[in-house]
This record gives sequence, C-alpha cells and structure tokens, in this order.
Amino acid sequence: MRLPGGERSAVLIGLVARLILGVVLIVAGALKVTSPTASARAVRAFQILPYDLAGYLGYALPVVEIVVGLLLVAGFLTRASATVGGLLMLAFIIGIISAWARGLSIDCGCFGGGGTVDAAKTQYLLDLLRDTGLVACAVWLVVRPRSAYSLDHRLFG
Amino acid sequence: MRPDASKKLAAVAPKKGPNPVVIGAVVGVLVIVAVVAAIVIGGGGNSGGGSAVPTGALGGDGAGIVASKTPAKSGAPTVDIFEDFQCPVCGQFEKAFGATLTSMADAGEVKLVVHTLSFLDSNLKNDSSSRSANAVACASDAGKFLDYHSAVFAAQPVKEGDGYTDAQLTEFATTSGITGPALTTWQKCASSGQHAKYVTDVQTAAEKEGVFGTPTVKLNGKDITKSLSTPDTLIGQIKAATK
Repeated sequence: MRLPGGERSAVLIGLVARLILGVVLIVAGALKVTSPTASARAVRAFQILPYDLAGYLGYALPVVEIVVGLLLVAGFLTRASATVGGLLMLAFIIGIISAWARGLSIDCGCFGGGGTVDAAKTQYLLDLLRDTGLVACAVWLVVRPRSAYSLDHRLFG
Repeated sequence: MRPDASKKLAAVAPKKGPNPVVIGAVVGVLVIVAVVAAIVIGGGGNSGGGSAVPTGALGGDGAGIVASKTPAKSGAPTVDIFEDFQCPVCGQFEKAFGATLTSMADAGEVKLVVHTLSFLDSNLKNDSSSRSANAVACASDAGKFLDYHSAVFAAQPVKEGDGYTDAQLTEFATTSGITGPALTTWQKCASSGQHAKYVTDVQTAAEKEGVFGTPTVKLNGKDITKSLSTPDTLIGQIKAATK
C-alpha cells in the first residue's frame, strides 16, 4: 500500500518513536529486574514515598518497564502503552527534579545502581534531557499512534 | 429527500483503533503482573538465621553497635559511621580515619557507633556484605568488635565484588584474638547467621533515616561526610562538639 508522502514519513517517525521509547524501557527494566533489592533501594533513595511503598514500587518498576517496552516495540496497543510509558517518564522527571531541588546527591538508578553518589558525579541534567526526549516520543505516539510495522496495523487495520 | 450518505461515509472513515475492552484487559493484566511481582519479590527477602541482637547494639530495631569497650565520658559527642565491608571508599575511610576514631573511642572522648550495612550484596550479586556484617556482630558478642572490624577492612579485596570467603572470616576471628570456647561460639554464630535479621534491620533503619551511601559519618546526628578532610580536622570537629 502506498501512502501519501506526509503520511508515510509520519508512520516512519512513529516507528522510530516506538523503537526509541520501547528499547530504552526494555534495557532499563532488564538491567534492574535481576536486582530487585537494589531497585527498591534506588526508589527509596529519592526519599519521596514512604519506605514500604517506595520498596514495592522499586520491585514492580522493572517488570512494568519491560512489558510496556515490549508492547511498544511490537506496536501493540500503541496509544495505551505510549500513555503508560510517557506517564512513567513524567514521574521520573518529577522525582529527579525533586531530588535535585532538595540537594540530594543520588544516582537516579534509572539503569540499575542508585543511591547516594559523590556530589560531583550526579547527572540530573543529563537524566532530565533524556527523559524529556522520551516523553516527546510518547506524546507523538499518543497523538498519532499509527506507525509503520506495528501489530496494531496488522490486527486492527 | 437527501440521499443517505452514511453508508458511504462509514466505508471511507478510518477504522477505529483497538477495542477499548482489549486495552482495558491488557492494562489490567499489566497491573496484576506488577502487583504480584512486587509482592512475590518483596516477600521473598526473609532469609533464615537467628534474630538475636548482638552485644553492644543500641537497640533491637537495627540500631548500630557501640564500638568501643570504654564507656564514653559525659559530654562526649556521638559519631555514627555507616559502612559496608565491601565498599572500597569505606576501606579508604578506615585507612585514613580508623586509627584516630579508635583511639578517641578507647579514650572515651567519643561514643563511636558503627552501622554495618549490606546493600552492596544486591549490587555485587554476592552475600559477602551480610556475611561479614553478621560475623562482626558475632565478634561483638565476644567483645572484639573493633578488632574484627579492622581485620576485615585490612583484608578488603582489591577488586570490589571479590568478597570474603568463610575461611577469611574465620581467620579474622583468630587475628582479632577470639580463641578457645569463644571461637567455638563465634564459629557457630557466624555459620548459622545468628544475627542475620539484625543485619537486615540495620540496613532498613539506615535507609529510613536517609542513609543511601557509604561511608556516611554523622556527628551528633548531623551528616559531616562531605566535610571530612584530614584526621586532624575530624578531631577538631569532635572536640568542638564536646560539651
């Protein structure tokens, strides 16, 4: 099927957005899923949520990231999974800004690790830029969920 | 009457996306998976071992161990140290400040409280932090906390993550002067993980008071880690906090 030029580049941008957001989520989840204790501690280190709740969030996050990442890469339920992925990124952005504003020196633990680091080794700005880019990918997909090579397209037309 | 174009319109209208029911089902499954995962993983942390609180611990709820045998003089400030035996910077801290703090504690000039953390186990994927933390708690039962403590750091592996063998942990007990029946008791305590729950409690208590890195040094409850430079400045800070 040949699509008009504008539509064709739009579905390609959608594909790229899906792959970027999806692959980052899968990698981030996979790096943490084998060390649940460390993941729980990384969430607690933000000192935003109560101890127990932060712990459960830390255990659940890697699993959620992997599932949402797989859905995005497959292009299955694109709009819904991009919404979840985008909300996750927004939550991370809020957490990082909050930690930065309170003067904590922590590693965000986004890709494993986490906890207090040397003040010179914090990289809040970099983390925020990355997550903002990922939010942009998610927003694109929520607005235009149609993308090339997606399961959605095959299953639902 | 106008011709009814609704059929034509329906034919050219873009097909609707996935059924909301499908979306709802997938989101629901996702939530259930996440909750189950959190509960299974979170509940799985109960390791075996006894729940005994070691001699010298300031309380049962994961409080630190008072390191020195000499009671602190009245007015002497409290220094809390949070460290993990596998943390290289803790090894450096021990080299730089250990002797100073030990001699001040032995002179009763400071109440030295050590919190042996074990979070590096999950980062390094071994169990050396909690095993050595249990072992030093067993040494505290024998009245040899600081001797054992410095023996562990003196033998810290060059490569972070290599950890400590059981044979090494036993060797530290003998080098710290635990002998005879005390050594038998220590051995039993170490191999059965008698203070395993205490070790987990110390980690939890530290996180609850916002300690997420090692070493962390607190003087009368105030985090002074960032201001540490030389033993002399530390002595100055401790003297200044003495009433």
